[in-house]
Amino acid sequence: MGITRKYWKGIEELKQTPEFIKHKEQEFPNQQTIEEFLSDDKLAETSTARRDFLKFLGFSVAAATLAACEAPVTKAVPYVVKPENVTPGMPTWYASTYYDGYSYASILVKTREGRPIFIKGNKEYGFTKGGVNPQVIASVLGLYDSERLSGPLANKKSTSWSNVDKEITSAIKSAKKVTLLSNTLISPSLNRVISEMATALNGESGSKFEHIQYDAVSYSAIREANLKSFGASIIPGYDFSKAKTVVSIDADFLNSWLLPTEFAVQYGLTRNPDSKWMSKHFQFESILSVSGSNADYRGMVKPSELAGVLSYLIKGLGGSTSVSATIPASAKLAADEAIKSLKKSGKESLIVCGSNNVGLQILTNKLNNLLNAYGTTLDLTNTIELFKGDDHQVQKFVKDVVSGKGPEVLLMLGVNPVYSLPNGDAFGKALSNIKTTVSFASHEDETASLVKYICPDHHALEGWNDYKPKANHFAIAQPTIRPLHNTASALESLLVWNGKAQRGGKDSAVAYDYMAATFATQVPGADFAFTTHNSCTELATTSTALVYKDASVSNLPKSNDKEVVLYQKAGIGIGLQANNPWLQELPDPISKVTWDNYITMNPVTMENDGYATTYDQEHGLNLATVTVNGKSVTLPVYPLPGQAIGTIGIALGYGRGANGEKIGKAAFQTKEYGGYETENGKPKAIGANVYGFVSTVNGNIEYYNSAKIEKASGEYSIAATQIHHTVMGRHSIVRETTLGIYTSKDKEAYNPAHKLEKLNKEGEHEKRPMKEFDLWDAHPVEKIGHRWGMTVDLSSCIGCGSCLIACQSENNVPVVGKDEVRRGREMHWLRIDRYFSSDEEAAVGTRKDKETFSYDKAEDAAENPKVVHMPMMCHHCNHAPCETVCPVAATTHSNEGLNQMAYNRCIGTRYCANNCPYKVRRFNWFNYPSYKKFTEINPAQDDLGRMVLNPDVTVRTRGVMEKCSFCVQRIQATKLSAKKEARVVGDGEFATACSDSCPTNAIIVGDWNDVNSIIRKSSDDNRAYQALEEVGVKPNVWYKVKVRNEENSLLNKLQVVEEVAENKKAGH
Amino acid sequence: MKISNIQSLKRFGKVSFFILSVTFSVISFKASAQGEALFKSKCATCHQPLKNSTGPKLFQVRDKWAAGGAKEGSIYQWVNNWQSAAASDPYAAGVSKWSQTAMSAFPDLKKEEINAIFDWVDSQKEATEQKDGGVTPLEPGSPDESDEEGSLGWIWIVMGVIFVVIILAVGGVRRQLNVVTSDNPDSQEKMTYGEEFRTWAWKNRLYVGLASLVLVISVIVSLFQGLYRINVVEGYQPSQPIAFPHDRHAGVNGIDCKYCHNSVTKSKSAGIPSVNVCMNCHKQINGEGKPFAGEVKKIYEAAGWDVSSGAGKYTGKTKPIVWNKVHVLPDHVYFNHSQHVVVGGVDCKQCHGDMTKMNGTAMVQPVEELNKIEGNIKLTKPTLTMGWCIECHGAKDVALGNGKNAYYDEIHRRLMNNDKTLYKKYLNGDGKVTVSELGGWECAKCHY
Repeated sequence: MGITRKYWKGIEELKQTPEFIKHKEQEFPNQQTIEEFLSDDKLAETSTARRDFLKFLGFSVAAATLAACEAPVTKAVPYVVKPENVTPGMPTWYASTYYDGYSYASILVKTREGRPIFIKGNKEYGFTKGGVNPQVIASVLGLYDSERLSGPLANKKSTSWSNVDKEITSAIKSAKKVTLLSNTLISPSLNRVISEMATALNGESGSKFEHIQYDAVSYSAIREANLKSFGASIIPGYDFSKAKTVVSIDADFLNSWLLPTEFAVQYGLTRNPDSKWMSKHFQFESILSVSGSNADYRGMVKPSELAGVLSYLIKGLGGSTSVSATIPASAKLAADEAIKSLKKSGKESLIVCGSNNVGLQILTNKLNNLLNAYGTTLDLTNTIELFKGDDHQVQKFVKDVVSGKGPEVLLMLGVNPVYSLPNGDAFGKALSNIKTTVSFASHEDETASLVKYICPDHHALEGWNDYKPKANHFAIAQPTIRPLHNTASALESLLVWNGKAQRGGKDSAVAYDYMAATFATQVPGADFAFTTHNSCTELATTSTALVYKDASVSNLPKSNDKEVVLYQKAGIGIGLQANNPWLQELPDPISKVTWDNYITMNPVTMENDGYATTYDQEHGLNLATVTVNGKSVTLPVYPLPGQAIGTIGIALGYGRGANGEKIGKAAFQTKEYGGYETENGKPKAIGANVYGFVSTVNGNIEYYNSAKIEKASGEYSIAATQIHHTVMGRHSIVRETTLGIYTSKDKEAYNPAHKLEKLNKEGEHEKRPMKEFDLWDAHPVEKIGHRWGMTVDLSSCIGCGSCLIACQSENNVPVVGKDEVRRGREMHWLRIDRYFSSDEEAAVGTRKDKETFSYDKAEDAAENPKVVHMPMMCHHCNHAPCETVCPVAATTHSNEGLNQMAYNRCIGTRYCANNCPYKVRRFNWFNYPSYKKFTEINPAQDDLGRMVLNPDVTVRTRGVMEKCSFCVQRIQATKLSAKKEARVVGDGEFATACSDSCPTNAIIVGDWNDVNSIIRKSSDDNRAYQALEEVGVKPNVWYKVKVRNEENSLLNKLQVVEEVAENKKAGH
Repeated sequence: MKISNIQSLKRFGKVSFFILSVTFSVISFKASAQGEALFKSKCATCHQPLKNSTGPKLFQVRDKWAAGGAKEGSIYQWVNNWQSAAASDPYAAGVSKWSQTAMSAFPDLKKEEINAIFDWVDSQKEATEQKDGGVTPLEPGSPDESDEEGSLGWIWIVMGVIFVVIILAVGGVRRQLNVVTSDNPDSQEKMTYGEEFRTWAWKNRLYVGLASLVLVISVIVSLFQGLYRINVVEGYQPSQPIAFPHDRHAGVNGIDCKYCHNSVTKSKSAGIPSVNVCMNCHKQINGEGKPFAGEVKKIYEAAGWDVSSGAGKYTGKTKPIVWNKVHVLPDHVYFNHSQHVVVGGVDCKQCHGDMTKMNGTAMVQPVEELNKIEGNIKLTKPTLTMGWCIECHGAKDVALGNGKNAYYDEIHRRLMNNDKTLYKKYLNGDGKVTVSELGGWECAKCHY
């Protein structure tokens, strides 16, 4: 076998700690007690004697039998007048657009009987080309949040719109100064009404009205740097699909930086080793980000060392700069390789920088200019119109407010400054000095709970909106449901307050009419209805020639002993959806931790400083106190390989609702048996808010700072999915190679078929491929009807987590909460295994030393590991081990190759889960839709939240197994539509929720028996292999060898066709 | 209205009745049973023997009519067609004003059948009185359901007790005789009844053993039969807000089922017609002066149709009609109408019966009724049970490779490519490829 790189899922596995060894044999780490299983609180509270228990048991058997006889009368209420495009029982899809001030995507919304239940990317229209992120998909749940405000509030009391309008209108009229503080508004209509307001209030030259845009995470340095380099305050358009070399300087462009929905799709296109060229990706960063985990070369640098890296690259490419080109040893190799690669790809290169330091951005511009990349990978004409917040303007405004010189009327749209400003508390206190404060927030959040009037805006799925995210792009968001509450579009509110419209009530057309008028002027000649149907249209751009000029660089990040880096996680981002239980339970792509915020440090540093680097169900992590700017937070310290030594990573977006604000049920820490953990009588927030840790350099907010860290007393239990579902040392699960080996060598070198020995006719041992070995008669799945298969390309999977959330949304997967995840009882049907690799080990772990191989020696290499993301779901094995052990035949095989799960037949022995080599079966330990432990977190427990459930998928009850069904409801629907239209099922017509939502097209599904299908070709590919093929379960899922575009001389030596070795062995 | 716990208790009554009836020999009261069956299938929707419901109580209704001065035989005419009776008999005309709701016509009921119904109804009071010791009359509000079986069971219990007393008495006499005739009275004296029974059982162990075996098996069999009837909803016909006569619409007027249930070809649910569909015709047909005018009025109310002003107009004040669902599948079952109707070409009447003859709203037709319909696949398991679905999937053939449906042509082509052993296996026995052979018996076809 040519695979020698050792993969391990966590430090526990690497070190083989006693806890790890103890638990690795168990599928379910903790057995459940009887009290817990009965889940009857009253039973647990009373002192129930054994005889009483038996009486209860007898009674409940009788009662259950009686209850089973009852067929309750169900009501059916047909429409009075059925809408033309709604057929009960059939989904209706709407093309729309998602924008929340942070993420942007063209989306398709699936509605059933008028309620939205699923969001996916729109592959046909819009520049995001189907790209979404977990937050976009999960936003559908936010619509049904029962703690959303149901109408306007004045002084915390519910009131009517007419009252609010009267008071606010008169306040605006009489005020000397009116300020609108909003997030970046890319809506042409909103911008039009704001300019109308400005004209009306300011007259010719007044300054009564001011509009300030403020982004929670600022990108103002890019605009400022471009102002200096090109004389225009713009963010250029980026095209990763044209970049043969991508150098990212601390920019997590696949997860959080600027427009990850667009970039991930573009990036995915260049990661195919079978196409003409494959991009080479270099990442220089402090924490191990999602982008960094996909890089071919990765350098670990502190924020203060980023300037050195840029300077090193500039000088390496023949440029000159006054900045010193010192780089740490941990980035030297990557930087040297980057220079080589950049020289080769020339203008087909792209340098992106994620820092909000103007100096670094100027250096980045210089580098891009040096490479001549403007015009190919960077587009100065079709600019990105997001993130227009200007730090200087915001800082000045905040200073004015805090010092009591604020406006008389303050309108706040789409912002939560009390939470997200570095000095949010002071700003919050100062709000009371402002005569009239108005918020459009949907919840009584940190800011809205301090204002006088809350005029809740519609949820994004309830109202009309228009967006201009790029200079050449006009998009429309259309409502997919009638507003659930007495909310009003912010556009309408502003129009009313400006005296341009009357309130239209629940079915108001005010915003629609205004938007249609805007559309007519902005996109002359285009049809509004047609554009709405497609969700977007192209605009003409006027190109003005921008000339690059060198700008001076100053105020670069200063070096410190310990530097704290603030980043954004895939699920929580900047904290907009902190109340979304799906996102809270989404394991972080890298750390696999759910429901928590933590400090990340390199395990090497942690060991030196005396922190525990292992943790499990019983043992928590050490706590530490980080002090920055005189503010401190105490959080657990999580060991993250790949993090730069001397840096501390903490995610933004946590600590929402720190004062018990009503931001949503799932936003707080819950207790072991339900209810909230409380602190001073208020529910305790999840994690801590670290917006206060930012540094201000020359008026710019930057997301790093010098920090002090001290170990605090106590341990903290953390819920990670990492130490569960081990691979048990079977390294045939992940296969990896380099582009060089892949293109030059035979398949046997990098993807050898698994062989077993058997006796041939001459009585000699002979190595034969796995497919010749069969314990049972094969299921008749080949060549007859369909056979549904899937391939997962490990080269293109970026580990973003979209598939996981899409699966959760499509299949009614319950949310189980931190305590249950900690016990290893998460219910996700699809998980993304993240394996760290270690080059050290490859050096040591040659095949001849396999027996003496030491896990301990590989530890040091973990400092900067390579990462593989591997989505893992039910493999629908044709020889499924789960099927043979089920005593009641609840899980059986279909002739389409599906491993079927009949919930109503399952009696919960869990034999199947124990027998599954992929560990993908999930057991319903509780009645998640009703047990009080999950009341706060499970959306299915409240009347509104329940509306998000997919009516085509059963909600499972306690005591039954469940697992990935290959979205069998979609298979059936696809087949049915083909049958009804008397045609064959088209290739690519069927898509599972995961493949549907994958931004990089890493997951392909289809009918394997269709010999011309993409899936068939993909599975016959040289790179295709089956995980744990040697077990002989004959799965219907194929993985494709991860190809890294790197030079790896070691691997080059190891991955060779082993003919000689085989002959030797065969001759024994 | 719902199938309540009371009814489930009733089923338990049935189970216990089975057990009792096995313990003793079964005698059938044929006439009474016929009356009961007819009453339940035809009358019970609206009438109760001892209590007014949708229709008046039927207890001793013949005497009531005779005493009221009704014409001879008028009551039978009434049952067959109440309108003609009301036209010819003033008493009947008076009865027709009893309620707004019009009674259905039962033209096919013969005089003796009607008499059997009335005989059975009249026997109800007596049975109740016996049960209550003839003292307390049945409370008007209390349900009567389990009475008829309970009363029979009660007779058997009394008889059983009498038998046991007789056996014990005989045993006692025999004991006395034994004591008298015994040489050694002491040893006999020590034996208790229990010991004596055991001795007797041991002596006749073959017969006792066989009898017990038969008893145990019968009890188990009846118990399972009873349990298998649980949640079998054959004959379920809940009350509905509008007394919609299917026979008039689909039968007399020949409206296609799919005109009203129009999503049947598109969606998983056939769809209860929305009110605007009703209004397509009922804007004109207002039933003025007809007995069903009241029902049509309910549609107008739902649609917000104001008839008072000229040609009528929509007021915009709508009120959705809340129907009671008739064919209810459990949540874990996925059933798609369009699959069966469009792809499978299954006629509505295969599962729903001949609605052109159904006087009233929908009902879960018993499988026996469905089997009577020409062209239907004959099935044995009760309607709407999984066995019923499975049975049909095992019998219904799928037209493959006839060039009419490209989807099935492709399936056929793939089958043919595969050395045909599988295809031959499918054809074996019945000469057709059934739904089940193409996967119609697989769990994930309906459960996900």
